Amino acid sequence: MREQDAYKDLSDLFRVEDNALPAEPFTRQVMHGVRKQKMMRRFVVGSLGFTGAGIAALQLPALLGEWVGVDKTVTQALTTAPTELSTAAVNQLSAAAMSNPMWLAIAAGAALCVFAVSAFERA
Amino acid sequence: MRSDPDLAHAAAQGNEAAFAELVRRHQGKVRGMARRLAGSEATGDDIAQVTFLTAWQKISTYAGGTFSAWICTICWREFLQWRRRQKLEIEFDETAEIIPFDRSADQNEMRMDLTRALETLSEAQRVCVVLCVATGLTHQEAADVTGWPLGTVKSHVLRGVALLRTRLENANVA
Repeated sequence: MREQDAYKDLSDLFRVEDNALPAEPFTRQVMHGVRKQKMMRRFVVGSLGFTGAGIAALQLPALLGEWVGVDKTVTQALTTAPTELSTAAVNQLSAAAMSNPMWLAIAAGAALCVFAVSAFERA
Repeated sequence: MRSDPDLAHAAAQGNEAAFAELVRRHQGKVRGMARRLAGSEATGDDIAQVTFLTAWQKISTYAGGTFSAWICTICWREFLQWRRRQKLEIEFDETAEIIPFDRSADQNEMRMDLTRALETLSEAQRVCVVLCVATGLTHQEAADVTGWPLGTVKSHVLRGVALLRTRLENANVA
């Protein structure tokens, strides 16, 4: 036997009372509250979002100014890098060749190999 | 007919119509419970309304199981909050003071008898009888809702039901 069966008669009396309560006005009232709550939430979230967007928009000019500076530095560095690198390589190579002519011979051999391979590749 | 968990899932996605259906289905039980716990129809309906508004906010936390037990847990918490605001600090034991009911709006005779009979129980017995007998929760669910030990709930229900029967019989004889 289920525990509720011991007092089913009393439960039925209470259920009759509860079922007699009109559902619609109460449901309408609750749903009105739900919609009100939803609107309030939207308003709070929306106003916080717009405030955040406003603050971000105010920061934009300063941010763009910084970005242009960064952009210029990076572009300049990229343009001058190959020239600087090749100059440094030539300098290093000539320094090495001057200290030991063997390095010059090795470099010439390597260059000849690279040239031969690339010539055959193209053919 | 869609099941309660289905409706709750739809409500969690923001479907107001699904939530309205849940309110329609459970309003009688929740209002009855709140009215009997608070001892006043108007206050009970206020507590029930706050219960459903809280349920709407927390519907995504409903993890299946009996929807009645879930909503009754919220109702019980709202009732305790209301009581705290009323500063009615009464111990939940058998020697507890009995809170008088405001029954100005009662008209139906049987309802009067039930309300009167309920009013003569100690508060702990009344809480257990309201949850298990009137609201239809199992003893275990009532123990989970109130946080009281299962044995305590069972004994309060047993004694409360016996007393309720005696009072109703006396009222019928008179």
